[in-house]
Amino acid sequence: MQFRVPSVAPAPRASEPAKPFNIRKMTPLQRDRLMVVVSPLAVLIFWEFAARTNLVDRRILAPPTVIAATIWQLIQTGGLLNQAGTTLSRFAVGFVLGTIPGTLIGLAMGISPWTRSIVQPLVTAFYPLPRIALFPIILILVGLNETSNVIMISLGPLFTMIITTMAAVLNVEPIYKEVANSFGARPRDMYFDVMFPAALPVIMGGVKLSVGLALLNTVAVEFLVADNGIGHLIWNSWTTLSISQSVAGLVTAGILGSAIFTIAGAIEKRVVPWVPDQR
Amino acid sequence: MPGEIHVRGVTKTFVGVHGDVRALDPIDLTIPEGQFLCIVGPSGCGKTTLLRIIAGLEQPTGGAVDFTIGHNGKPLRSVVFQEQGIFPWMNVLQNTAFGLKVRGIGRNEREAQARAYLDMLGLTPFADAYPRQLSGGMRQRVNIGRAFANDPAILLMDEPLASLDEQTKLLVQDDLLRVWEGSHKTVVYITHSLDEAIVLGDRVIVMTARPGKLKSVVDIDLPRPRNVLDMQSNAAFFDVRSRIWTALREEVLTLREREVVTDAV
Repeated sequence: MQFRVPSVAPAPRASEPAKPFNIRKMTPLQRDRLMVVVSPLAVLIFWEFAARTNLVDRRILAPPTVIAATIWQLIQTGGLLNQAGTTLSRFAVGFVLGTIPGTLIGLAMGISPWTRSIVQPLVTAFYPLPRIALFPIILILVGLNETSNVIMISLGPLFTMIITTMAAVLNVEPIYKEVANSFGARPRDMYFDVMFPAALPVIMGGVKLSVGLALLNTVAVEFLVADNGIGHLIWNSWTTLSISQSVAGLVTAGILGSAIFTIAGAIEKRVVPWVPDQR
Repeated sequence: MPGEIHVRGVTKTFVGVHGDVRALDPIDLTIPEGQFLCIVGPSGCGKTTLLRIIAGLEQPTGGAVDFTIGHNGKPLRSVVFQEQGIFPWMNVLQNTAFGLKVRGIGRNEREAQARAYLDMLGLTPFADAYPRQLSGGMRQRVNIGRAFANDPAILLMDEPLASLDEQTKLLVQDDLLRVWEGSHKTVVYITHSLDEAIVLGDRVIVMTARPGKLKSVVDIDLPRPRNVLDMQSNAAFFDVRSRIWTALREEVLTLREREVVTDAV
């Protein structure tokens, strides 16, 4: 996934005569860049129009311009940036806390049949549970504090990484192992030079899924127990019927999410440069 | 004293759910050091199984393979796999140097050795490219370079050019001969293409349909160094070719009859 600042029309080079921009002859890249702006803008314009003409009740869904003003006001007086920072760091800690152990457990399960036999039943039992249902138990065990929040956030990435990493290792093409064996690879070469890089593209797919899950859990935790963060802002504003403030929180969460996904995509590109773009 | 590969009474039976499959009947074969041996046979004749046994990737059910070829601390044998055997996460240079890296040779030395082969195979401009950026022919040259750079005494190749189109195949065959000639390496080369076997080999062995046995052995006394493109118009080439084809034809027909009978049942 990638969002670049689009140049709406290709800038004509000085030497060439400027071609008229033809919307039917765009390259896929040009189209993507154009639509990154056009399609959200279209939704915003429709929303503005619908709210201004009372197609929807303005008291419930204020127009984007009002939301933007609310966001600006919240930044200046309500410490919106601090709230966003709190949410972001909560997300980051939970994400790392789930992703790293999950990947390591998944690798161990993929490599060692014994580990797989021992751990698999536990994963199978816990994975299908709605994880938010575990939250009360975590709260009782750990206490009503930040630790239980980040543990809750980490559960999504943890299970996702265990399962995707294990599958990634188990599905490494047998020919790669055979090639390595035929060259006399020691276990160390086999794991670091062959198995891990061969599994890495799928593992990175799991990481991107985990980003989404950790974000979801972060907002959910903030709805339920936290007294700060964007999720708290959204829920708290709603309970006091400050709907535009609640929607402003929602928009901020959306912007944060998009930014994190963009960063995750860029990281993926650097980590597995040999994988062709699947935009 | 020149060494040899001795294949002594090697048999292979695969145990399966629907009964055992005899892939190889006893095979006895001596391959002298420095020879380019090509093995041709109908599909399913066990030629790949034989190669994998020589490579040590598979154990024979009976018999054994002995090597009296000296290798002075260098590896005894390396395998050239089919195209998919290239590591997509390594660039061309890293792929080519992989065998040397596994043997614990330092970065500078292994890259210098790998680069020498990249040069011979015309891959130097692509040293930093990833395999997905290469054509099938180039990928297969990387595969060949990786095995040669490892500097083994014996090279084992299992239909390495099978997936390439005709023109590319001729070019890569030429590259292969250029790298091999003068290297004194022993080669066992599996192919289903008779022309390829004659163009490349010092000796061609034709195997029977399953269970695989040696059907006939033909020495190819065409002069070296050989040029693949010249061979296409060489009278001696056509003479050898028709001799081997007569032997192979019987086998293909036997196989077909057997399939017809099986179908009828």
